[in-house]
Amino acid sequence: MDGDGEGQSRWCLSQVKGAIDDDVAEADIISAVEFSHSGELLATGDRGGRIVIFQQEQENKNLPQGRAEYNVYSTFQSHEPEFDYLKSLEIEEKINKIRWLPQKNAAHFLLSTNDKTVKLWKISERDKRPEGYNLKEEDGRYRHPSSLTTLRVPVFQPMDLMVEASPRRVYANAHTYHINSISVNSDNETYLSADDLRINLWHLDFTDRSFNIVDIKPANMEELTEVITASEFHPLQCNTFVYGSSKGSVRLCDMRASALCDQHSKLFEEPEDPSTRSFFSEIISSISDVKFSHSGRYMMTRDYLTLKIWDLHMESRPVETYQVHGYLRSKLCSLYENDCIFDKFECCWGGDDSEVMTGSYNNFFRMFDRDAQRDVTLEASWENGSPGCPLKSWRVSAGSRRKRSEIGVDCLDFSRKILYTSWHPQDSIVALATVNNLYIFQEKPN
Amino acid sequence: MLGKGLKRKLEQEEEHEVMSCYWLQRQTVLNLSLLKLHSRPGHSDPGLARRVLITNTLRHIQDELRGEGGPVPGSPLAVVDGCRERPAESHSEGSLTPVSRLEEDRHLLLCLSPPTSRQQPPSSSVIKDSFTSALAEIEDLCPTVGITTLFTTETGRSITSDPNPRQTDPGLSEMNSSTDSVSSLSDSALSVFGHTPSLLTDFSLDDFLFTEIDSLLFDNIPYGSSLSASSGASKVVSMVTDDLVKTLTGYSNGGTSQSGLSSNQTFKLDLSELDHIMEVLVGS
Repeated sequence: MDGDGEGQSRWCLSQVKGAIDDDVAEADIISAVEFSHSGELLATGDRGGRIVIFQQEQENKNLPQGRAEYNVYSTFQSHEPEFDYLKSLEIEEKINKIRWLPQKNAAHFLLSTNDKTVKLWKISERDKRPEGYNLKEEDGRYRHPSSLTTLRVPVFQPMDLMVEASPRRVYANAHTYHINSISVNSDNETYLSADDLRINLWHLDFTDRSFNIVDIKPANMEELTEVITASEFHPLQCNTFVYGSSKGSVRLCDMRASALCDQHSKLFEEPEDPSTRSFFSEIISSISDVKFSHSGRYMMTRDYLTLKIWDLHMESRPVETYQVHGYLRSKLCSLYENDCIFDKFECCWGGDDSEVMTGSYNNFFRMFDRDAQRDVTLEASWENGSPGCPLKSWRVSAGSRRKRSEIGVDCLDFSRKILYTSWHPQDSIVALATVNNLYIFQEKPN
Repeated sequence: MLGKGLKRKLEQEEEHEVMSCYWLQRQTVLNLSLLKLHSRPGHSDPGLARRVLITNTLRHIQDELRGEGGPVPGSPLAVVDGCRERPAESHSEGSLTPVSRLEEDRHLLLCLSPPTSRQQPPSSSVIKDSFTSALAEIEDLCPTVGITTLFTTETGRSITSDPNPRQTDPGLSEMNSSTDSVSSLSDSALSVFGHTPSLLTDFSLDDFLFTEIDSLLFDNIPYGSSLSASSGASKVVSMVTDDLVKTLTGYSNGGTSQSGLSSNQTFKLDLSELDHIMEVLVGS
């Protein structure tokens, strides 16, 4: 099960975006990656509060040999840094999450959030403009009324495509703690935002009110031992959502049961294996991401060392557990010292739920084929591989060896990590962010 | 691994080795956890999730140590986390910090040894004991932290100079004046926010030293409107720390010879400056 070194995988590097530079500005570090519901658009957010949207080229998309390329479509500043004067603390402009709304008309809508504020952005195209005004020249100057001898009707003329992003809603002042998740409901009218201790339900149209649906803040903050780490709505049932905690449990809640869903409907928790107990057991059990499968039948959780697939009908234990980088288990003390143990890795499902994927260190990412029960370790690197070439798979061994397709644990670079990943909703295209760059991989055409 | 039914018996030496490895790792994790909790990551809010995880790890080790009956460094622990959370606890729904947080700082300063009544400063001998023992702990862990020694010389001197814990104690009275002005602010703010300040029963002096006093003085010392930039804030905070040192030095040097009248005048000056600050805050 643990990386059988196939040599070549079926994935190839398609594109790399961003500066190929070792010296990266803090503001350029990517902090969110998300495909739209059609897969045509790919949004990234960075620590500087900017969002860059890439669009897939339409012409090559349907060609069997064509690699559909993503090119920059729109760039805009989503969030600005703010200052809380009374606490004398900065509110970072870093984009924590991006979630697309399903497309209803020609415009695209997405939700983006930093630690405190969620915003709804409308991205629309303009490729025509009215020309032939009577009272104005083309450059905007007003014509002298005496020079008018005839009247004409203005007509729309084509112009260069302009993509505009405008903020349509700002949902502010509802979170005391840092927002870690947003999730759009399947009813396409509401969404949830979750911080460390509370989850709020919003209606997309209303910014001045939100409904608190989960509150785990204890009356006495000294008794606080558990926080919310991730949350998501069920993809099909608009009344169901889940949230993961820092203690490794996931709670499923039904909003029909009560207004305040402090009582869970289901609790997904695997009993701890006493043989692997250490000082860091709780920290490594903390859920960093939770994602429903497209079918809505399964749920995947990511903690520091493993990926777990849960059947929503069985709370006692996951149906599948995959080791992402079990070789780190003996290194937990060093990882605690350099804070890497607190890294929050995302995970994602393939379009047909048969594969799942997550990131690791040394710019490695792991792909797990659930049906074939095979997994592979690939590297996101523009040096070791050219576009179109199938990636070679890696193995990680103990010690500090370094061979052609094998690397020792002690040689891993923990500063190069892949935290943010997204999988195209239908096709075999994945996008992931290293610290510097955005990588897009596609399946090798046969 | 081992086959079924096969028991391996550790030799005495091996067992000691394993145990001392365990103790060593436990001590390492304990020290790391205390360091992480006490370090200030900068101007942005350190994550609550991270603090909770570190605190839980620390608690687990402390429980183990307590169970073994040995000394437990770093306790009282519950509020290392609680101190930081307390401001958040008294928030109304929203990202603003109500002035009731300043109210809590007053309690921190007055309740230097738990548990004690809110309005009465405790006797200086008790202050000295818990203060210096906590400082000694910190110095063991973080010998390079400059501010610790700063406080040891300045406040330690001022506190031990006068056995009377009330107005004539220069170190405490300086803090009292600040807190009295703070309480006048917070009283008016309380009526707006409708919060009742909570009683601190247990807290770590380390937190008092490293976090609350900076913010307290930051709020009390007048500043221009230059607070918009975050770099401006950091300058103010460091200025504030310097001011604290100068003020305390001034008081401890001339404390015993100052008359009560002149200290009252200084208090009045502080109050008018605070009024000015409130105008700026509320007016904007």
